[in-house]
Parts: sequence; C-alpha cells; structure tokens
Amino acid sequence: MDYDVGERALQLRGRLRELIAQEIPEGYLGAFTDDPADLDVAQRFCRTLASEGLLTVAWPEEYGGAGGSVWEQTVVREEMWAHHEPRGAQYMGLNWVGPAIMAFGNDDQKRRHLPPIAAGEVIWCQGFSEPGAGSDLASLSTRAEPDGDGFVVTGQKIWTSYAQMAQWCVLAARVGAPGAGARKHEGITIFLVPMDRPGITVRPIRSMLGPHHLNEVFFDSVRVEPDEVLGGVGNGWKVIRRALAHERVGIARYARCDRLMSEYSDLAGGIDGLPPALREQWVWALVQVRVARLLAYRAVARQQSGVDDASASAARIAVTQCDQQVAEVLFDALEQRSIEDKAAGAPLHGAAEDHWRYAQAATVASGTIEIQRMLVARELLGASK
Amino acid sequence: MNPQLPDEAASFGAAAEKAFTALGAVDVARRAEADPAVRQREVVPVLQSLGAEDLDPRQDLDTAAAAGALCRAAGRVALPYPVAAAVLRDHDGNPTAAAGGGGTARIDHGDLFTTWRLVGLDGTTGIAVRASKPLGSRLGPFVSDLERGESRDAGGARAAAMWITLTGWRILGCVERALELAVSHVRDREQFGQKLSEFQAVQFQLADAAVAVAGLDELCRYTTWKACSDPAGAAVDALALRLYALETARTVLRTAQQLHGAAGVCDEYDVSILARHIQPDLRLPFGAATTAAHLGAAVQEHGFEALFPQGGPRA
Repeated sequence: MDYDVGERALQLRGRLRELIAQEIPEGYLGAFTDDPADLDVAQRFCRTLASEGLLTVAWPEEYGGAGGSVWEQTVVREEMWAHHEPRGAQYMGLNWVGPAIMAFGNDDQKRRHLPPIAAGEVIWCQGFSEPGAGSDLASLSTRAEPDGDGFVVTGQKIWTSYAQMAQWCVLAARVGAPGAGARKHEGITIFLVPMDRPGITVRPIRSMLGPHHLNEVFFDSVRVEPDEVLGGVGNGWKVIRRALAHERVGIARYARCDRLMSEYSDLAGGIDGLPPALREQWVWALVQVRVARLLAYRAVARQQSGVDDASASAARIAVTQCDQQVAEVLFDALEQRSIEDKAAGAPLHGAAEDHWRYAQAATVASGTIEIQRMLVARELLGASK
Repeated sequence: MNPQLPDEAASFGAAAEKAFTALGAVDVARRAEADPAVRQREVVPVLQSLGAEDLDPRQDLDTAAAAGALCRAAGRVALPYPVAAAVLRDHDGNPTAAAGGGGTARIDHGDLFTTWRLVGLDGTTGIAVRASKPLGSRLGPFVSDLERGESRDAGGARAAAMWITLTGWRILGCVERALELAVSHVRDREQFGQKLSEFQAVQFQLADAAVAVAGLDELCRYTTWKACSDPAGAAVDALALRLYALETARTVLRTAQQLHGAAGVCDEYDVSILARHIQPDLRLPFGAATTAAHLGAAVQEHGFEALFPQGGPRA
C-alpha cells in the first residue's frame, strides 16, 4: 500500500511545472479563447515539449516515445489539465490517434502520421458523434459507399472539437447496410481523411465553451482513398473501442480543481477568509477532489494490472461531479464577481469563470454520466440482474 | 504507487470476517441488544483467537492496515464491541477513544471497561471512569457516559487521529455490507412484473452508492498510509476521512434502506440493524457539521495535502 507516484514521475512533474512557468503566460486559459495569440502559445509549447521528448511520454520507445509508466502518463495528464491544457488540440493526436495508428495502421500510415504527431505539428479532430448517434455511437449513419477502389463519404458529424483548425480527421463511417440489434456496429470503418478534401464543410456551433470546441462537419460526396482506411474495412468498432480505452480514465479534472481552490484560498487568506456559511462546502469540496483523484488512481492501477472493470466509470462519475461542485463553490465564493470574465478583469484571471463554463459539459463529454452509471450498475448487479 | 491493501492485512481481514460470520454475523448484534453480556461472553473470545489484542496500529503501516481490515470486518456485521478503542490500548491497558471536551464523555460500549483513555485531536489526553449504564436506546444501545478524571500528558493527537481513521474503516464495512444487501434485495424482489434491479432509477441509485463506497474504501487506505508516512498531517487527513465517511454513511444507508422498502426499517432485516448500530460511530464524538468545522480550522493551521496544496503556513 503506497500512494507515492515514484521518483521519475515526481521529477517529471517538477520539470513540467518549470516549463509551464517559463513559457505559459500568467492567466493563460488554454488555446481556445477569443484571443488567437493563445493558440500560438500552445503551438510553441508543444514544440518545446517535443524537443525534450515530453510530448510523447506515453508512447512506446520504438515509436520515438519515452515509454513512460502509467504514473508518468498520469502526471502529464494532471499537469496539463491543471494548467489549462497548454498542448492545445494536440492531446487528441498524442493520446489516442497516434496509439491507434500504431496498433492498426500499416507501415505507410505510421510513416506518414506518427512523426508529425510526435513533433506537435499537426492537429486532428475526431469525427464520431452524429446528430442521431451520441451515446449510442454504433447507430451512426454516415455512409462510405464503395466507388472504384475507394469510397465516397456522405453524412454529418457533430460536436467535433477543433474541426476548424484540424488538418486531419479520424472519421467513423458505415460501409454497407447496418446490422440489426447487437450487430449494428458491423460495417463501421475508420478513415484518416485530410480536412482540406473537397466536399468537407465545417460550421462552428456557438456555445458557452468558447470558440473551436464544438462544430458540425458535413461530408458531401467526399472521395476517400483505399489507403486512408485504418484497420481494415468493417473493423472500425474495434479501433473505436481501442481509442476509447486510451481515454478510459478520462481527463484529470481534479487537478485543475485542486489548483483553482488552492489559488483562491491564497487570494482569500485561507479558509478563514471565506464567508462562514461557505466553509463547510469548501472543505467538503476539498475532500471530494481528493477522493476523485484516488478513484482515478484506482482505475489507472486496475488498468495497469489488466483488470477490465467499471473502475474507470466510477472514477469518471466522481471526477466530473467534483468538477461541477468546485465550479459552484468557487462561484459562491466570488459572488457578484463570479460572472466577470478574463477581459473584464475577473479574479484569478477569469479561471473560475472559465472553469464553471467548462464544467457544465463535464458530465456529458466523452460518455455521459448516465452511461457511466449504467456501466457501474451493470457490474454491481451482474449479468443476471 | 500501489493502492492495494497488503496481502497480510487482507488475509487478516478475511479471517476476521469469517470468524464474525461464524459468530452469527449481524445476529450477534441482535443477541447483544437483548443481553449485553454477549459482548464479553461471545465477542471477546473471538477477538482473542484472532490475536486482535496484539495488533497495535501505531507500530507500522502493515499493522495499521490490518487493524483497518479488522474494523472493516467488524463494521460489516455491526460487531457489538469497540474494536478501534481496544486495539489502541495504552500502556496500562486502557482502551483509547477520541472524545470531545467537557466533563463527561459519551462513548460507545463505555460500560465495558472501568477506565478509559480519552484523547483529542488537539493533543489532550486523560483518564475517564465509567459513570453510567448504557443508554439502551435504539440508536445507542451500548453508549455510556464516562466521567473525566485527571488530565495526563499531551500527545494524544496521534491516537485520536488513528481512532478516527479506524472508525472510518468500520463505517466502510457497514456501508459496503448495506450496499450488498440492497443489491441482493433488488435482484430478488419483483414488482410490476419485473425485478427491481431492472428499473433504471434503482440502478442509478445503486451506482451512485457504489461510487461513494469505492471512494471511502480508497480514502481509508490512503489515510492509513499517510498517517504512517506523514504523521504531522494525521489530524487533517483523519478529519477529511471522517467527513467523507459520515456523508457516505448518510447517503448509502439511506439508499439501502429505501430500496428495501418497508423492510428497510424492520430489525428482521440486517440493513436495519446496520443502520441503527452504526449511529454512535457517526455521532460520537462529533457529527458532520462539527467535523467540517474542525477540518476547516485544521486546514487553516496545517494546510491540506493535494496536487496544489492549500492553507496552512502559506496562507
């Protein structure tokens, strides 16, 4: 029984904090704000990380990575999210597009795609969700009709983050008619498609999250070449499952909660500086953030030992709920000033206001809390419920 | 990083659970309520056979984890005995429990021993003597008042933190058993032509309870580890554990009783006994509101360990 992440992971945390302090401006709220300069910060930071081999800590050594332990990977997730993901949109390519290409790609695809991802030079977007296929992803209806030796893709994707700036899309589309019932995932195929291909239209969706987070992507008779299929025709569900497994433990939201509560505590002069009526909620939030982190560690440890259970879903429930709870506690503390944003000179450079807006989607993004509850309950009740 | 309980502690906990089950599991609590002497006559020999008397959780992490596993097993059956106090005996053999201020102290199973050592998170420590018969109430059948005697040396803070931590383990045992009983009940019981477990509203309540129990399980282990690796922060961590344990008990027991329907308040069903007999652990020496207030003060003074720590001397 030991909760020490180990010397290497600790050193990594220290180095990441040093680099962040050197390169990320105070009050940075991520790459996707109304200020385009924030995106440049992220691009520069990615190059710095790449030059130190820190962009691909999780990647195997044979693909130029550091072969870092799951705890080093955890530290990267924590530090990046705590500091408003200064890798910008790169995390998607690094966290799962790259690993999926390693697992399912052919040599040409690996040569073409892995080096630019490892160098932080390319942005990917994920074309999975559709207006009629959200949590029930296997119901997707975007079609890839065979055409000569390739395909013609027609359909609509939605909630696609970074689609406006992405150079490439991991697209899930259906080849052939959908199977019935439990076989509806048959025919789903993954394509690696350049976003400048004729017939692709991106339309931003205005949201409280700010620019670049949500988009619609329309595929209107888009030509896709046979060498752009990843993992074989009809094997898309396998690729998606693998991709989702990489994202299993989810975003380390508790790390930003910790940081914001710590910064606000400093600002207020500690708990004694909070309104008395808020102190109980504050300490309760502190405890919940700790528990969320421990549940995330449990999921990582189980994944490391090859256990496939609902621990990741349990962690997601705790982590996303604590995210929203901390957002509310911070807003209660800030009272009238809570609704000021960075431009209006908000306390904490607008980080609490930014956090509250993001937190609203925490229990929806990457698998809703309802789906996570179903998975936990299914395990609890067993197959014969 | 390895959040697993040490093998020896896990084995010890399993042996304790087996022994308590052989004693009749929750039935021993029912028997003790009718005849309080059951505690000495039946429970004490079982604890002796397990070697619980030799278990000093202040010794090292493995022993602390084993003591935690013992308290957890006790919580699973509402074992009518102050196990945490017993393993924290002082040099004179006095059982040790955390207590609030004031002239009298209210202690679960306080009647079992003539003298007690009472400790506080502020370091206060003193000897108290038995002063009353058990309350005999439904929610505190064995709770007795003690009269405080002379104050002794300071230095009780560590024992108080350990008592609170071990009580957290006991609460963990109680809520995880209550959840198992609820799961079993909804898998058996049918209404409107289907099992209760097939209603999504029921599934979601169970899922939330399971996450809370898993969180408490992790926090018990983390707090025990941290008490051994960083004794200076033990009071803050113990209070954090207590706050989470109390809230988890409130929500999980509520869910477990609700899903049992009217049976949830009937003593024929184990969940009712668990919910009644855990109350002294949730209310003594203080409940959730006071725990939160103490935690706030402790964070202000000592800080709170986190990825980005807060409070303490920095604030």
